[in-house]
Amino acid sequence: MTFLRLAVLSHRTGAVAMALIGASSGLVNALGYVAIAGHTRLERQLFAKEMEIFGQQLTYILPAPLQIDTMGGYLTWRAFGSVAALFAIWGVIAGTGAARGDEERGLTESWLSAGISRLRWMLTRSAGFLVAAALSAGVACAATQIGTMMAGDPTPIGGMALEWLLVLAVALLGFGIGVVVAQFVVTRRVAGTLGTALLLGLYFVNSSTRAGADVGALKWLSPFYLFDRSTPLLDGGTLDVAATLALYAIAAVLVVFAAWGFLARDLGGPLVRRGVERVHATFRPAGDPLLRVPVVATLDQQRWWILGWAVGLGALGFFLTSLVRSMIDTLSAIPQMRIYLQALGIAAYSDFVGVIWFGTALFLLCAMVIVQANSWAADDAEGRLEAILAAGAPRARVVLERIVSLLVAVAIVVALASTAVYVAAGLYDIQVPADRFVLATALTVPVAFAFGAIGQWLAGWRPRVAVIVLGAVAVVSYFIQQFTPLFSWPEWVGRLSLFELYGRPMTTDDWGGIAALIAIGIAGTALALVSMQRRDVGT
Amino acid sequence: MTNAIETKGLTKDYGKGHGIFDLDLTVNEGEVFGFLGPNGAGKTTTIKLLMGMTHATRGSATIFGLDVDRAAVPLKKRIGYVPGELPQWGGSRGSEIVAYTAGIRGDVEDAEVERLARRLDLDLSRKYREYSHGNKQKLALLLAFAPKPELLILDEPTSGLDPLHQQEFYALVRDARTRGATVFVSSHVLSEVEHICDRVGIVREGRLATVGPLSQLAGIRAHRVMIEFADASDARGLDVPGLEQISVDGARVIGMYRGDFAPLIAALSAKPVRTLDSREPTLEEIFLSYYRDAEVRR
Repeated sequence: MTFLRLAVLSHRTGAVAMALIGASSGLVNALGYVAIAGHTRLERQLFAKEMEIFGQQLTYILPAPLQIDTMGGYLTWRAFGSVAALFAIWGVIAGTGAARGDEERGLTESWLSAGISRLRWMLTRSAGFLVAAALSAGVACAATQIGTMMAGDPTPIGGMALEWLLVLAVALLGFGIGVVVAQFVVTRRVAGTLGTALLLGLYFVNSSTRAGADVGALKWLSPFYLFDRSTPLLDGGTLDVAATLALYAIAAVLVVFAAWGFLARDLGGPLVRRGVERVHATFRPAGDPLLRVPVVATLDQQRWWILGWAVGLGALGFFLTSLVRSMIDTLSAIPQMRIYLQALGIAAYSDFVGVIWFGTALFLLCAMVIVQANSWAADDAEGRLEAILAAGAPRARVVLERIVSLLVAVAIVVALASTAVYVAAGLYDIQVPADRFVLATALTVPVAFAFGAIGQWLAGWRPRVAVIVLGAVAVVSYFIQQFTPLFSWPEWVGRLSLFELYGRPMTTDDWGGIAALIAIGIAGTALALVSMQRRDVGT
Repeated sequence: MTNAIETKGLTKDYGKGHGIFDLDLTVNEGEVFGFLGPNGAGKTTTIKLLMGMTHATRGSATIFGLDVDRAAVPLKKRIGYVPGELPQWGGSRGSEIVAYTAGIRGDVEDAEVERLARRLDLDLSRKYREYSHGNKQKLALLLAFAPKPELLILDEPTSGLDPLHQQEFYALVRDARTRGATVFVSSHVLSEVEHICDRVGIVREGRLATVGPLSQLAGIRAHRVMIEFADASDARGLDVPGLEQISVDGARVIGMYRGDFAPLIAALSAKPVRTLDSREPTLEEIFLSYYRDAEVRR
């Protein structure tokens, strides 16, 4: 029981964070629904008509909008689609953390040497996540249910319980992906990156299905496709028992496979070894001159990580751009949608490329910054910061070098990925204005600057909570951006979102927003410098 | 002779009695100073303060006359450092870590790195993750000694080293002293400090217990002995000068023995002894014994 208790506790930070995110999303959406959709049936039908048109455009991010004139339909579309995806990502991060993070820190070795078998280790770690995720998803669903009751339009408790089962299933599947990927690579960082990339790939397989693209049987591989098949909160909605059981079964199979992998491999090693590396012994420092140049040294050490992000983001951009023509043609065939697109200033395929690509890219670049902030926090916990300072690097240099290398890395990633998008646009005969496209690409860097500076400050001030708080900033920014037009909030509220400050540079200039992002970046960097100077290192 | 290190009332209070308190300490230039204490005594806390990694709650510390906080950066160029907890460099190769660190310092010659790596028998082509604990420690030593610094601050530097390489480490310290460097080395192993140090400071429960030349250690030098007699009456009647009996259990005596072994062996020769075991006690055992004796003497 001690090990199980520790296994549950090891997920407490993520569980609390996800419970907060899920609960706040559920509460805000439930309370907001009545405020924006009205109370009468007619008001809600009018609202639903508008939202369903709007929602069709977002099917690559959110589920298809159904029964938006009901609380259950709205929550299914607006809340649980994205909450489930976030729980799945948490599952991947928790899985890689359990299977590789513990190993990197020597915890796994300690447990195994204490007499716990590898099989028991894997099963108990998985059970620990099951408990943590069940509690976390339970809090999120309970808060959503309370929100619907406070709004005077309660959803059936049975339906909410089934929704809890679905969210839990997706989280467990994410965990399964995490522990499996972690068997093949030797660091948590790489496992987390690959696992998240794989999950996002599966997410977009389902997205393209929702957007009308035919991906064939591939869609059955996506847990999100299986998730979408159940609609327990809709009037007359059902739980697709087979799909839900499949989610749990796949999660179980993945954990069993990971357990087998763990049994088969060496502790600290990958499941598949490349063979013994034949390297001549050397007693001299590496000849790579880049390792001795500030900033460049950091980029040199991160080269594969940066390349991975560039390739992943580029592939995703290429894929999204390939869908644009068919999506626009489909949407434009609907008269109301045509009016709506014109209202958004989307008059051509190229405008839609801008909306889809840069919207997605910003979100993922933000994820890249969060991963980097996690690494900065780890620099301290794992003694690298102490080693760098002991070698004579001023604390200010560490801060500035981190932020500059992050911005260069982001610039490289977004430049390569945008190039892929531009090439895809050409291949699909979409004329994208090069000047606007280059500008919109370049302006993603100030967004990364703002996020990175906040992350840097948090990593110096409170390293243990840096990732959670930065993630919360991203989520809040996302929700503000989404809710401001829906709830007709004042414009200044929308400007609190870092994503909103980016604006829509493919169609209009918003230099005020960009200046605000740069100002946030400068202020965050200044705070990071102060906190780095004042803090104790390695304690 | 000027002071390499000087602390006045240096305190880092982590609460609940943890930390280091009112440390007044002077280390002369060119000497090898041993900072001795059991685990948790405050050695690493002191070293982190000297390295400017943590900020003092009160008091001050200077190295070569410069404040360790305000002049942290220029001082680092004059210091070689082995941390108590080794950094995790992940999948980087030893050679890459050396190049990266040398790039930051800017004063490390490749030839010196090669000389030290050969001396420590450390293959720099291997990934850090694949290094054994001993090899990681060797890399830390190489990074500290390669710049030929004026001051070496070493936190338990022989941790994980095999006896052969411990000897090599002692030789490195002697070489550093020969070229005029000052060495501040923390340890919880008495025999290690005896090998290399001119003076020692003993810290216990966050406070400096004593500072003095190595000869003072003779007063606390002891062996933990376990003697098992054939007959329990021999155990009860054992009375040898220098042997402090900790426990007598039947025919078995456990005690702390100070001084030359000849009187003990002479005393035992007349009695049937089944087992005689002698080992170096832990520092805490020595301290318990030493301070108990001191109180009795008072």
